[in-house]
Formats: sequence, structure tokens, C-alpha cells
Amino acid sequence: METQFDIGRLGQEKLFLVLSSAERLRQNNIRVIKTLIGRGYRVVVITTNQPSAILKKHYAAEGIDMGKVTFIDAITKYAIGRIPEGETDTKFVNSPSNLTDLGIAITEVLNPASGEKTCLLFDSISTMLIYLPSIHISKFIHFVTSKLRLLDVPGIFLAVEKGIDPLLLTQLTTYVDDVIDMDKPPGILGPDGKSPGT
Amino acid sequence: MEQEQRKFTGEGGHRIWILAVLGLVCIGLEVVVHLTLRTAVGYTHIFYILLVLSALWYHHKALFIAGGLVCATLATSLFVGDLTWATILRAAMFLVITWIVATISDERDRARRMLQEQKEEIEKKHYALVGYISEAALRMKNPLEMLRDNLTSMRVQLDQGPDIEELKMMLSVQITHLEQIIGNFRELNREIVEERDEIPEAFREFLTR
Repeated sequence: METQFDIGRLGQEKLFLVLSSAERLRQNNIRVIKTLIGRGYRVVVITTNQPSAILKKHYAAEGIDMGKVTFIDAITKYAIGRIPEGETDTKFVNSPSNLTDLGIAITEVLNPASGEKTCLLFDSISTMLIYLPSIHISKFIHFVTSKLRLLDVPGIFLAVEKGIDPLLLTQLTTYVDDVIDMDKPPGILGPDGKSPGT
Repeated sequence: MEQEQRKFTGEGGHRIWILAVLGLVCIGLEVVVHLTLRTAVGYTHIFYILLVLSALWYHHKALFIAGGLVCATLATSLFVGDLTWATILRAAMFLVITWIVATISDERDRARRMLQEQKEEIEKKHYALVGYISEAALRMKNPLEMLRDNLTSMRVQLDQGPDIEELKMMLSVQITHLEQIIGNFRELNREIVEERDEIPEAFREFLTR
């Protein structure tokens, strides 16, 4: 299956940094979601790039079961100035730079003990760079990954492949278990995000 | 405590030992030549090696050593009975030479310290600026690429029968992203302008507008 890629290791390893080219970010987001739902996960999507309303349409068009997806939307309220009607199942955060509210929203969404397998999908670290210095992003991702480890919840952090400088990439790779390059053939990647021997 | 220990074991340790050996040599000369041979000619020139080195290394603290040598010279002269104006002049010169060398050394070291501090300050500012430019580039290049791809995707949607509400929403998001990128760019300009004094006032104002 093409969509499996290295996500097949999700059972053994919990936290992934997923790199994608900018033009394939949305498609890769959908591929990751499909794979996760196919593996029985409820997916919590944190979006900072595209409004959740648009993502919902795309997911629905791809046949994704929307009952399995929960959104934390940090861009709609900031960009449009209001919350769209009928979005009761989505948590809205004022701005992508409001890390306190974002942290609270993540905690609230992850805490319910429904017994469901939950996975967090962060889309994307690259967009966060518009709103925050990399040092703040690094600290926030560290906070989120620590929380995920404590709750034993897997997490996937999407980022544009060439959009992260080596220092930030090194920091992020220390917080996750593995790095996946969605635009490369399957293979285990090293901590620097490259396949061995490359 | 640690500093004291370093004086005797580290960089300054050998200096103490050199001065101690020279001090013993000077006292020995005073005893052997002046007290025993009863002559005060020539040997005191050796004292200047001790005085100059101690003034170079320990600045005005060397005046204590000079004072000690003055006392030793005057005491032995009194004991031997050859205390003259020449002895007093020689003793005074110990203090004068030590003070001059100590003052020059002090000035030299102070200037060196200032230069070092200035150099470190400039390097610190330079690295901070390079780091800032790198961070700003990171926060502009990548977001602009994402913006381009989002706009491309919207352009494709237009051909496929657009959902106007969705396009409006997406456009609002892209405008918000752009506003933030412009803000980041302005911030970068301000940092550069504050760092570079040679940029004319008119350009400073333009860059930070």
C-alpha cells in the first residue's frame, strides 16, 4: 500500500516528524489521516495553515470518516475574525501564536478517557514559523511531545521539508522517535532526517 | 580561594616562583656582598630585575617588594656604617623605577582589557545579527513558498468550479499569513538598521516604515 510508508511503524514508535514538500503538504496530510484512521485511531488535527472547515470538505471528499477526526483550529478565528456556524465539534484558538490556549486545547482534547486510540496530527510546524520564532516553536513542540509521551498517545508533526533550518530540525528530531520523509521511498531515516548512506 | 590556588599552580604560579628566587638572590647579595665583603658597589643592579619583573606582573603591588629592598639596603648600610646620600638615592630609585614600570604596565593591561571587551561585544552583536537574519529568512522563505502553493491550489480550484465561500476563507488566511510575513520583514529591517550606523537616516526611515 502506497500510503503505508514508514507510518507502518506507528505501533512500535510513537512520535514522528513527517517532512513533506510544500506542494504535497495537503495530499500528505490526507494520506497520513487515512492511514491512521485505517489503523483504528481517532485523529486530533491541529491546523494552523488551512481552516478546519476546508480541511473537513477535503477529508469528506476523500471518503474519510469525519466521526473519527477532531479539530483544533488556530487559524480560522485569526484570519476570518469569527467562528463559522455549525462548527461545534471543533476547538478554536484565537491565533497560531497563542501557545497557551493551544496547549490548553490540546490537553482538553487528549484527556477524555473514551478508551479510543487517539493520535495527534500537527499541521504544520512550518506555518507556525510565520507567527513565532523558532525557539518558541521548539519549546512548544517539546511541551506537546512530553505530554503525548505521558498520556501514551502517538503524535505526528507535519513540516515542509526544506522550510526548517538545521538547528530547529535537530531540536525537533530529538523530541520525536523518528523522522519520515513522505516524498522519499520507504526506508528508515536517521536522526538527521536522511536515509542511512545518503 | 580558587584564584589563590591558581596563582601558585597555574599561569601565575611560575611568576611567584621566579620572584621568590630573585628575592632570595637579592637578600643573599645584600648579606654576602654588603654585610660580609663590606662593599655596596655593583650588586644592587641585580635588584632591578626583581623590581621590573614584579612591577610588570603585579603592577603597584610590586611597591611592597621595592619597600622591602629599600629597608634591607638601609638597614645593612646602617649596620655596616656606610649610609650616605648615594645609598638613600639608590633606595629611592628602587621605588621610583618600580612605580613607573607598574604604572605603564597597569595602563597597558587596562587598554588591552578594553580592546578585548570591545572585540567581544562586537563579535556578540555580529553573531546575534547573523542569527537574527537566519531566523528571519527561515520565517519568510518557507512561509512564502507555502503561500505560493496555497495560491496555486486556489487557482486550480477556480478552473474546477469554485466554491466561493471556501475561496474567500482561503484568501483571508493567505492575507493573514502575508500580513504577518510583512510584519516579520519589517522587524528584520529594524534590527539591521539599528545594527548598522552607516545607513543614512532617510533609508533608515524607509526601511522601518
